[in-house]
Amino acid sequence: MKMKKKSVSEWVKSGDPWVWLNAGAVAISVIMVVGLLLLIAVRGLGHFWPADVVETHYALPGESEYNLVAERVESVEVPAAQLREAGIAIPDQHQLMQRTLMKTGNRDVYGSDFRWVIDEYLTDTKRPEMLFTAERREWGNLYGYLKAVKEDGKIVSETTDLTPTDSAMATWNTFEKSIERAAVIFDEIHEIEKKDIGKINYALERIRLEQRRLELENKLTPAAAADLAAERGQYDEEYKGLQQSLIDLYAKINRDTFVVQVMDGSVHEMPVAKIVHAYRANAMGVPQKMGFYFTKLWEFLSDEPREANTEGGVFPAIFGTVMMVLLMTVLVTPFGVVAAVYLREYASQGWVTRIIRIAVNNLAGVPSIVYGVFGLGFFIYFLGSGIDQAFFPEALPSPTFGTGGLMWASITLALLTVPVVIVATEEGLSRIPRNVREGSLALGATKAETLWRVVLPMASPAIMTGVILAVARAAGEVAPLMLVGVVKLAPSLPLDGNYPYIHLDQKFMHLGFHIYDVGFQSPNVEAARPLVYATALLLVVVIALLNLSAVTIRNHLREKYKSLEM
Amino acid sequence: MSDVKTHSIDISAMQRSQQALRIEDETVCLSVNDLHLYYGEKEALKGVNMVIPEKKVTAFIGPSGCGKSTLLRCFNRMNDLVDGCRITGELNLRDENIYAKGTDVAELRRRVGMVFQKPNPFPKSIYENVAYGLRIQGINKKRLLDETVEWALRSAALWDEVKDRLNESALGMSGGQQQRLVIARTVAVKPEVLLLDEPASALDPISTLKIEELIHELKNEFTIAIVTHNMQQAARVSDYTAFMYMGDLVEFGDTNTLFTNPSKQQTEDYITGRYG
Repeated sequence: MKMKKKSVSEWVKSGDPWVWLNAGAVAISVIMVVGLLLLIAVRGLGHFWPADVVETHYALPGESEYNLVAERVESVEVPAAQLREAGIAIPDQHQLMQRTLMKTGNRDVYGSDFRWVIDEYLTDTKRPEMLFTAERREWGNLYGYLKAVKEDGKIVSETTDLTPTDSAMATWNTFEKSIERAAVIFDEIHEIEKKDIGKINYALERIRLEQRRLELENKLTPAAAADLAAERGQYDEEYKGLQQSLIDLYAKINRDTFVVQVMDGSVHEMPVAKIVHAYRANAMGVPQKMGFYFTKLWEFLSDEPREANTEGGVFPAIFGTVMMVLLMTVLVTPFGVVAAVYLREYASQGWVTRIIRIAVNNLAGVPSIVYGVFGLGFFIYFLGSGIDQAFFPEALPSPTFGTGGLMWASITLALLTVPVVIVATEEGLSRIPRNVREGSLALGATKAETLWRVVLPMASPAIMTGVILAVARAAGEVAPLMLVGVVKLAPSLPLDGNYPYIHLDQKFMHLGFHIYDVGFQSPNVEAARPLVYATALLLVVVIALLNLSAVTIRNHLREKYKSLEM
Repeated sequence: MSDVKTHSIDISAMQRSQQALRIEDETVCLSVNDLHLYYGEKEALKGVNMVIPEKKVTAFIGPSGCGKSTLLRCFNRMNDLVDGCRITGELNLRDENIYAKGTDVAELRRRVGMVFQKPNPFPKSIYENVAYGLRIQGINKKRLLDETVEWALRSAALWDEVKDRLNESALGMSGGQQQRLVIARTVAVKPEVLLLDEPASALDPISTLKIEELIHELKNEFTIAIVTHNMQQAARVSDYTAFMYMGDLVEFGDTNTLFTNPSKQQTEDYITGRYG
């Protein structure tokens, strides 16, 4: 009886509210993080699911009816008054109307991919099995009915049916085989253009630079010139051969065309070579859709972007991000550790050291764009052009290191994250017990030997903590990169088969910038929006993986150098 | 009460040795001449004069803060690591002044090894702990290392306990084993002098006993100086004892004599437990 009667002040004194407050704060943080991840995961991953295509009739009051073939994208409820204001004659009894965004595709025919419709006025909605979706290399998706497949302008298979009859299926199968054939040829062309011709271009550029260099040094003897000309001739010859095979391949790939009937009933003839995938979503079962889904997901991870980054994959961006972070780690770790060792172990702990330490801590708080500006002004314009003049005069006036690139981006980010590594390393060094250092010194080790053999290994988990924080910060940074080397579309990866294999001077793509570019700079924002979510999710995953590997290394080190009980 | 305590020490000291040793008969290993040590303004050692005899155990006793550890840390210049520490006077190892300019401190510390109060093994394997000092000297031959590690671990009476797990981490050993490992590590570089700074104060009685037995063994090969808080321990293990108080060396002499018949009143007061 007495227990029940508890005053508020007693409740406060018991500490319960404090526990609730703390637990509540934790819960809210967890919910927000999980919610954020869920949102981008659902929005991003849903994009790759092959959606059903509906065929329906649509007529606004007082307007003529037309046929609509589209994928549903999203639905929102809007007040009828708002629609009336937009000039649509909505009857008075409606208060709220369901409005749906439909992806109609066929941008080459209609000029835009999307249109908003009001669900109320959709009638006779069907999901015909023969309706197909084709992802194209340009102009976005195509929706329609297949009418015929042609080889060299001659019809090899045709149908008039819009239902899965034998004749319709036969035409569809011919179409699929034709797409497969074109895809194989396309890969061959891609291989030649990217790899073989890329190599020749690289070699020709090298010869040009060599010649220019000899010219500048006044060493271009007729013999040397002849040598270079001979070499160039050889490559030109090779290039001609490749060009011929390209011409042949292009002739081959353009052999087939197909005829499609789109939603307004008009009929169009298009080359099969333009198609990446074609599928009839309405006829697919769940397992088939799953298979297709993972194919698309893999394509997203492993392919190059198409159509101004709004379609295709993001592999170059993943590669650029990881490469830049790794390079930054390689730069920042030794630099930060060496600086911390000096500050903690060698410098006398006076006011100068204290000021330096405060400065280092404040450096961590400088906005990242400022580092970008510094990188641009100091590294690129000053150091870069200096390097160009000293080592690459033959390439001038086009800059080699005098413009943004992988190396400058990595160094700029290393500078941005070095305070984190210094602080974490100092913390680790200060925690090594004095008696362990003395034990080493008492055995006749010098201070440097003690540092290398005992202190640094014992501090390595703390150093790794610093590296983890640095990686987490650097991988998500976009603003400074835009000034020092990230581009919307890089023609080639910074790592390839051409000597010197790693091209530190090359510009590169980055997931963070890719999100910005796809989301805000793309000509077709609606179509690109799911990709923004997918890329954001991917960025989170890449950072998590980078961190996870660093954490694994740290745990391994911790196990190895278990700190002594103090 | 105090009489009883003195009495018990008497017996143990009696059991150990029959006849008083004379410092004049010993070979001098370390000699200290008018050694003053200052931490900043504070004078921690006020003109100490003494010798550490060769291949004998010399114990330093005295209340906390009397400067006994400080003096011990002078013998291998460990005090150099303390900011604001300053020394005047002379400290000779054999005939070299170890505070002379140009002394190779690392080489001095190899010759004068030190074991600390708390076991401080490195976070490495047992083998690598013992081999550490040798590797520092650039000895990397596997055979030589193997032999020396075994010899050092045997000298520290640890070999039989660890011979099957030499590659396991030293941090998994018990405190007593760790301390003997540290002794083995110090012995491995074959120093001339072993400085033991309260080597058993962090250990249980059985481990303490083992360390004390070890000291008896080791004095055949090394000159040993030991700082201890435990007077019985000093009486049990040492040949000579120095009693220090407030930075002064009050009395130094044969352990037996010092405990049974101290010549200074302060010494008597301390060993009978009147202060400290």
